[in-house]
Amino acid sequence: MIASLVSQTTYAQINTGTTSNKLTAFTHAELMIAPGKRLSDATLLVENNRIKAIIEHGDIPAGAFKIDLSGYTIYPGFIDPFTDYGIEFEYPKLGLTRPVYDIKRIGGNADNGAIHSEKEWFNYVYPNKERAKEWINNGFTSVQSSKLDGIFRGTAVSLSLADKTANEVIYRARSQPFMAFDKGSSEQDYPSSLMGSIALIRQTFADANWYNQNKNKQGNGAINNQVEFNIAFERLDDLTDKQIIFETKNLNDQLRAAHLLKEHKLPANLLGNGQEYSRINELKALNYPLILPLNYPQAPDVGTDDADREVSLADLRQWERAPTNPAEVAKAGIPFALTQFGIKTDAFWPRLRQAIAQGLSEEQALAALTTQAAEMTGTADFTGKLAPGYMADFVVTKGNIFKEGQIYSVWLQGQQQSLRSLPQARLLGDYQLSLNNLTLDLSLQDVSKGDKPKIQGSLSSGEQSIALTQLKLDDDGRLSFTADLSAAGINGLSRFTLWMADDGIQGRMVDAKSRTTNVAGIAIAQTAAVDNATQADNQTPKDKANTSLVSHLTYPNVAYGLSEAPKVEKLHIKNATLWTSDKQGILEHADLLMANGRIEKIGQQLSTPSGYQVLDATGKHLTAGIIDEHSHIAINGGTNEGTDAVTSEVRIGDVINPDDISLYRALAGGVTSAQILHGSANPIGGQSQLIKMKWGETAEQLKFANAPASIKFALGENVKQSNWGEKFVQRFPQTRMGVKALFEETFDAAIAYENALKAYDDLRSSDKKKTVAPRPSYRLQAVAEVLNQQRDVHIHSYVQSEILMFIRLAEAYHFKVQTFTHVLEGYKVASELAAHGAGASTFADWWAYKFEVYDAIPQNACLMQNKGVTTSINSDDYEMQRRLNQEAAKSMMYCNMSKEGAWNMVTINPAKQLRVDEFVGSLTPGKMADIVLWNAEPLSIYAKVTQAWVEGKRYFDRDQDQVAQLAVVNERAALIQKILSSDEQAKAGEKVTPLNEPQWHCDTHYQAWGHTHEGAK
Amino acid sequence: MQHSSKPVLFAALLGAICTTLAPVMASDIVPTPKQIRSVLIKNATVHTVSQGVLSNTDVLIENGKITAVGPQLTSQTNSATAETSDTQVVDASGKHLYPGLIALDTSLGLVEIEMSRPTVDNAEVGYINPQISSATAYNADSELIPTIRFNGITHAQIVPSGDGIAGQSVLVDLDAWTIEDALTQSAGQFHVYWPQIKRMPEDEKKKAKAIEKNQQAIDQLNIAFEDGYRYFLSDKAKGKDKTKDEDPQSATNNLRWQAMLPLYQGKATLFAHADSVGQIEQVIALTKKYQFKLVIVGGYDAWRLASSLREVKAGVIYPHTLSLPKRKDEPVDLPFKIPSLLANAGVPFALGFSSDWNSRNLPYAAGYSAAYGLTPEQALKSITLDAAKLLGVEDLGAIAVGYQGSVVLSEGDILDPMTNKIEAIWIEGRQIDLNNRHQQLYQKYLKR
Repeated sequence: MIASLVSQTTYAQINTGTTSNKLTAFTHAELMIAPGKRLSDATLLVENNRIKAIIEHGDIPAGAFKIDLSGYTIYPGFIDPFTDYGIEFEYPKLGLTRPVYDIKRIGGNADNGAIHSEKEWFNYVYPNKERAKEWINNGFTSVQSSKLDGIFRGTAVSLSLADKTANEVIYRARSQPFMAFDKGSSEQDYPSSLMGSIALIRQTFADANWYNQNKNKQGNGAINNQVEFNIAFERLDDLTDKQIIFETKNLNDQLRAAHLLKEHKLPANLLGNGQEYSRINELKALNYPLILPLNYPQAPDVGTDDADREVSLADLRQWERAPTNPAEVAKAGIPFALTQFGIKTDAFWPRLRQAIAQGLSEEQALAALTTQAAEMTGTADFTGKLAPGYMADFVVTKGNIFKEGQIYSVWLQGQQQSLRSLPQARLLGDYQLSLNNLTLDLSLQDVSKGDKPKIQGSLSSGEQSIALTQLKLDDDGRLSFTADLSAAGINGLSRFTLWMADDGIQGRMVDAKSRTTNVAGIAIAQTAAVDNATQADNQTPKDKANTSLVSHLTYPNVAYGLSEAPKVEKLHIKNATLWTSDKQGILEHADLLMANGRIEKIGQQLSTPSGYQVLDATGKHLTAGIIDEHSHIAINGGTNEGTDAVTSEVRIGDVINPDDISLYRALAGGVTSAQILHGSANPIGGQSQLIKMKWGETAEQLKFANAPASIKFALGENVKQSNWGEKFVQRFPQTRMGVKALFEETFDAAIAYENALKAYDDLRSSDKKKTVAPRPSYRLQAVAEVLNQQRDVHIHSYVQSEILMFIRLAEAYHFKVQTFTHVLEGYKVASELAAHGAGASTFADWWAYKFEVYDAIPQNACLMQNKGVTTSINSDDYEMQRRLNQEAAKSMMYCNMSKEGAWNMVTINPAKQLRVDEFVGSLTPGKMADIVLWNAEPLSIYAKVTQAWVEGKRYFDRDQDQVAQLAVVNERAALIQKILSSDEQAKAGEKVTPLNEPQWHCDTHYQAWGHTHEGAK
Repeated sequence: MQHSSKPVLFAALLGAICTTLAPVMASDIVPTPKQIRSVLIKNATVHTVSQGVLSNTDVLIENGKITAVGPQLTSQTNSATAETSDTQVVDASGKHLYPGLIALDTSLGLVEIEMSRPTVDNAEVGYINPQISSATAYNADSELIPTIRFNGITHAQIVPSGDGIAGQSVLVDLDAWTIEDALTQSAGQFHVYWPQIKRMPEDEKKKAKAIEKNQQAIDQLNIAFEDGYRYFLSDKAKGKDKTKDEDPQSATNNLRWQAMLPLYQGKATLFAHADSVGQIEQVIALTKKYQFKLVIVGGYDAWRLASSLREVKAGVIYPHTLSLPKRKDEPVDLPFKIPSLLANAGVPFALGFSSDWNSRNLPYAAGYSAAYGLTPEQALKSITLDAAKLLGVEDLGAIAVGYQGSVVLSEGDILDPMTNKIEAIWIEGRQIDLNNRHQQLYQKYLKR
């Protein structure tokens, strides 16, 4: 049906042979030819679908059809670089039931269901007139579109919003590749976590490089040395020539995307989130342009105190500060475009004007809508400006669009889409009419709302004003209306028909008795414009009043964040009891000097070097900061990539969340370092990240510098899916016997991989050109590092059989197990642990929560310590982490451990297990000043941290905490008042439910991408 | 109540056996028979709870009861047993004597291994289950129990969990052959878990659904309590005791509402598990309607509602001392401080520890609350005397004449694991075996 219509049109065109040019001159307009470049009273000359010339002075070609736009402004058409407009395609729903390990392989696709890099979306462009209006109504003339589904989403298309055929609207068939972390509709389990998505991206980049470097090699003849066809990899060949458009949902993910892309030296533009201002320096340093949505949040519900208690300060702040974000991004000098993505389109202009009220300049806003966007859509050489040769994509407004101006028409490829009638608009204003002996003032006003045009009129004589009904104004200048002029002595309802022209008004009135009277009139110049200006002036002060901020900006931008980073202290701590955690034991009445982030000296009655502050610690206890070998705090997007049995490619370091209040809470419990571990859902989990509790720093800065690489392995019930529900019985292994076999197979595969790499590396370069290189595998590489003693294993384990099994297996593969973690039956094989040289990190007293811990005993630590095993106490828990000091003391109660022995279990021993004891873990001169001051013996239940320093910086101070508690209360109160006293417009916004992730534990099964899961809790 | 009777000026140790508190043995753990011999604990620092801390003080326990507290008592201070049996005399010089600790809101005996479903008996399906009782399923032989009392806990409230009206709890002592041995006389205890949205969904539609579902649950509870009340009214109108006279199968007799009668009669207490202001206010509204005796369990926000709670004479069991702040913006130490906020607000409260195996850490939760605002005496009281009072037990939780002879002897501070070393425990005058699964495995592997 549609096809036949199109061919008919073509047929008709050929017949009439109309090839003549359409030349149109838009005269006397204000032209915004580019951001910051304005021409007054100039002419825009358009030939067919392109701009032919800008004429400032001089003659308009004779053959041009003129449209007088005096009083109007022309802007280049706006461009939205992040849409899914005009793509007609749905992925098939397979309806598989979980678990899903493999997907349908079809047409040479990738082996993961979230990789669609083979898709080129121009193939599916089908213009959609109705949907186009969502953009056109706001002045957009072209967009960039991709299906917004999956991780590698395919290559987008840049296209015009014009109501033309697909062939005509496609501006750039292959514009930019689209990407995201969210696996979208993929039914495959992997990746279930954020870190899994990041690992998949990293692996896919490597795969694509390998594929494209090797696909044309002939191979050495062996079947397994051929590169099989893979269109997904093939299409990722030219990423460095493109600008990836990367979608994320929040600031931390945006920063992660930026770091990941930077790591691969890939150009990109990042979709924004409205929170950029809160880590603007880090973002600026990464140097990626942004595409900002105007997704200001709705005011949180603070209607009752019970409701407001559930709203965080961070969310209150975001409500107030979101409108300042574009200005802050601009101020930082980060290039950006704007998008309508994620909001109701009629909110776009009011929100952009809010941003301008908050300091975004009009020039920056226009650049974001035009030239910056055109760069991102790959159409900068023919869209985004009013310039000869550019597409005739432009917007005609009355007034300044960044203030109160209104869009009258949008021209797409030289075709008009009217929002309001231009001729009508020109007729609006005030007139003086005379009929018989009467003189009446006629006033016509535009009372349009949004894209719903409406004109209203009145007749008045002196004080009297009569509203006009049945008012109708035609484009050709005919005005008709009905009015009751009884007050002027003309009874009944009179009907008017007036013809309005530049030289005056002529027409007639038909009265109640059907008698006709002639009417004549003249225009009263400029009155309307003045009125508009007055109105605008009246509005401005009110807008300005709302721009003052009551919220604070802190690092991180949550409650208890710091307004400035702490400085490295030069400090003399005097007369404390020093729990050294080294061979000096516990020293009473001792001093400590620290400077440059290091412990300088300890001893009795030290003198204070000049420039040092003195802290009298009489009656207090000073210790090294507590180190937690096993923690899952400060992670986003899942602690387990528990899909495949081996996921050594995923990295906790990719998903550290520097905004997590747990970091601050850990400090308040004296913890200065923690190893953040992958969970225990699979035998070979992910790579770990040792962090320091540098509250307020970036995710990268939290990472413990120079710490050895490590990885989480796991044994027992969790990895054999014992508590996952009845559906999860397919994955190998399902028994402890199988667990061992899985390790053996994986170790062998890693050895084979290394050998293959080495064999390839040993080839002469001429042979390398002919030989297909081994396909890279981050998964096997990490395992190979373990076998080479380059990556420490921290293995989750419970029962003696599995502990012994893994000791023997490691010995067979010639590597040392660094630490058994949990190791609740370690006491049964303590001699074997000691002989192997493995550390043991255990709970003080946990047991009975599952069958494999039924033999756990609180004397475990003592029994292992007694046999010479380096033993520590870990938390694996957000709450217990802040009480590790008392957890250590339980070994004194249950099995008479000495104070020193107990304290070592949370300081020097975990430092040894993490192989960072040369930096931290004891009060030893030369080590980092990661130290904690306590008000009582640190092992006592009554002990409280008074101060905690990391690398000589005081990140926690209990007195400061009291101040901060009050500040939080006051700031919340101020913001709540502001919300309560705001008008509806300021309260309106997008419904944004804050990220509400659970507290992570070893066995947390979390679907980062919103898929439901029936596994264990 | 007097705290000592007839102080005796000389010690008559003739015929008495000075007990050595023998190390635990790897043996069967057998419940101790009813007290026959008197127990005289001498020269202890006695944390009476009701009368402060008394140094160098003796305590005499006879027939399961404390019969004398004072300096230099003799075994002849009192009564019948003195003549018929020897007295166990314990030298407690330099040691601390405490009342046995009472663990509220536990699932001991109902849960053996949390993730092993066959061993889990604490949560029934259904929404209105007032007729079920934890006593039915309590396993007096649970391996967990001896490890709990090892830390000084002599009694525990065994609480069913679930949704809505989850059933009745009982108070037990932790050294018994069967539930019938274990039961300790206390008022009836009904538990309602007030509905809440546990984790607000991020998705808007799911969020709206969760809110609606929560409201339905609240409505359902209100209807149930009203139905129970109607039953109570009609029962009262009949003027007779249904339990005796009526056929349990009869249509007019409803097991659920019948079970709930003591609640409306003011003979039992409603334990309402609720944390937020909104939840607690709803519970208070319900309580006012039916004049229930009320105890809030959870009570995270209860300190904010002190006057409303006082108005209905409600107490609070606060089990969240060793928890994280519930809300991101709250002070880091708020959960530690809440007991002192409750104390300052004048709300009667006790500490609980909602767990099975982990409830042995109750004393350290109390220790924490002492580090954050309570006095050590208040902290101890919150896990002894005040706990007993919330259960309607009048003779438990203090070392004073007339109280049950349940006491704990420690070398150090029972609230602080750095110094605590429990040497002996008596429940109603019976010295119990401190051996347990952990001690047995420890002793066994010391030999490896």
